[in-house]
Amino acid sequence: MSIWELLGGIFTIHLVLATLRLATPIALIALGETFSERVGIINVGVEGTAVLGGLVSALVAYATGSPWIALVAAVLAGGLAGGLHALWCIRFRANHVVSGIGINILVAGLALFITSAVWGWRGTSSYSDTLNSWYIVGVMFALIFGSQIFIFRTKWGLRLRVVGEKPEAADTAGINVHRTRYIYTIVNGMLCGLAGAFFFNNVGRFTTGMVGGRGFIGIAAMVIGNYSPVGALGAALMFGFIDALQMRLQTYIPSQFSIMLPYLITVLVLAFLIKRAQVPAALGKHYVKQ
Amino acid sequence: MRSIVSYVKSSTFLRETGITLLSITLAFGVGCIILWAGGYSIPAVFANLWKGAFGNKLAIGQTLTKATPIILTSLSFLVAFRSGLFNIGAEGQMYIGAIATAVVASRLHLPAVLHAIVALAAGGLAGAFWGWIPGYLKAKRGVNEFVTTMMLSYVAIGLTDYLVAPRGPLHDPRYMANQTARIDLTAMLPRIMKPTQVSWAIVVAGIMVILVWYYLFRTPSGYELRSVGQSPSAAEYGGVRIKRKLIFALSLAGLLAGLAGAGEVLGTHFRFVDGFSPGYGWDGIAGGLIARAHPVGAIFAALLMGALRAGGMQVQRSGAAPGDIAAVLQGLVIFFIIAPTLVRMLFRWRRRRAE
Repeated sequence: MSIWELLGGIFTIHLVLATLRLATPIALIALGETFSERVGIINVGVEGTAVLGGLVSALVAYATGSPWIALVAAVLAGGLAGGLHALWCIRFRANHVVSGIGINILVAGLALFITSAVWGWRGTSSYSDTLNSWYIVGVMFALIFGSQIFIFRTKWGLRLRVVGEKPEAADTAGINVHRTRYIYTIVNGMLCGLAGAFFFNNVGRFTTGMVGGRGFIGIAAMVIGNYSPVGALGAALMFGFIDALQMRLQTYIPSQFSIMLPYLITVLVLAFLIKRAQVPAALGKHYVKQ
Repeated sequence: MRSIVSYVKSSTFLRETGITLLSITLAFGVGCIILWAGGYSIPAVFANLWKGAFGNKLAIGQTLTKATPIILTSLSFLVAFRSGLFNIGAEGQMYIGAIATAVVASRLHLPAVLHAIVALAAGGLAGAFWGWIPGYLKAKRGVNEFVTTMMLSYVAIGLTDYLVAPRGPLHDPRYMANQTARIDLTAMLPRIMKPTQVSWAIVVAGIMVILVWYYLFRTPSGYELRSVGQSPSAAEYGGVRIKRKLIFALSLAGLLAGLAGAGEVLGTHFRFVDGFSPGYGWDGIAGGLIARAHPVGAIFAALLMGALRAGGMQVQRSGAAPGDIAAVLQGLVIFFIIAPTLVRMLFRWRRRRAE
């Protein structure tokens, strides 16, 4: 086999399509994290929130048979998780990262318990009818470009950025800091729920490992994208490409290596390609009204 | 009576312990609601949970065996936490430590005791290296250690899986399973509670608790590490070289997690078995938080987690409910414990109603 045949076997139109699909959940999570970090709330619970979205999709699709209702339920469940995180961070002043870890651990436990209780298989649901996951790919593109305009070209976008940069100034200007933070942390959760729904619709059932660190890769994509939706999309496409490539490479190299590839590349990209991002000034800080 | 109340109020230690216990109670309360909603028998579940964790000598052995690596991974999380960093990669550091220990314990031939010590050291150092990487990236390149420790965990699990899989260089050709050859007798940590799997690894974990406590609270270097966590700018003003401290903290965290893996190889499985950990590294995150980042607390937190794991298995066997109710309980405990304001509020509300 010549090198050209080898490359021809790897780089096909299927690789491009797979890139778009695999980039979608990462882009959605990165977009969500962009919103919440822009208002000052770190949420590392995005991983668990996406798992929750997948779990709720499977549950509701199983109960109602309608993939559309399942999609809505997944988004709402994600919003609920986001709201819980906001409540913990804002009202109970928990450390943001710690609260996110709490969501991840709690959802991991719930997913195992509920799959066992409902389907009798630990960590796996049954197959059910799904949507064409290309719908969600389309929605993702619309959301990314819509959000880019929203954050940088509208007065609401200006307000949300001020809340993350200078909450005192925002407060003085009559912006409700806490309410803004609640709203966009819930938005973050809803987008992660949608990402979870994508994972479910992509394969037709829920498994506990299906998100497999893509939530954390989504956070990395947000950092690489420098807190802008279009930047996040660019980084997500890169990770989607690596993911698609590793699936093709499994034919040629031991599968353990190809599975490791996205994680290894994430570390390498963060280590060598990134200049310091413009971190919102009030990120992770509790705001106490004077 | 009044003096006891005022003592409890004035003592940080007792207040923290009280909040912790209250959080656990709250978590179990919510757990009951979930069981009730699922139509399971609450008394049967808790009876089996207790039976599996403390019911007899075998059950206690299970709890202690599972608590042993969790003590070390909890220490791993809390050492980094004290310096203001999040080490959520203990799982991977543990795998790297375990594989290094398995190689030294099976390929190197040394006299008894010495062999075990060298194998433990190899595991600790390998884990420390896996912790040093994100530490270095954090200090020198400003890379978020949260993401890198997590990503490197996946890398470690994949890498060790490759090494022990068929065709991998460390695979034991006599078996189909993904595992290394059995370690030498001279390297094994003796079992101390036969017929259970409790071994000298638990003593190693106990020694590390004392050492970490001594380091954090009784040495200048430990004081500096904590000061970096509390106020980096003040620490820097006080002459602490912050970057070196951060690298050291994550390396130390990796070392402790690596020792957890080493203990599993030398005391429990006597070889590196792929997938040997049911998530002891992740449990360490929960353990470190429940312990409120105190080394001695890590013992109790790990016992709770070990008991939940052992008890959960018994719940599963008995058919009273899915055994993963234990994992749900663990998650709930974390959720309440990280919001002391919430627990305090509930507490005050009850007292106000009582008055």
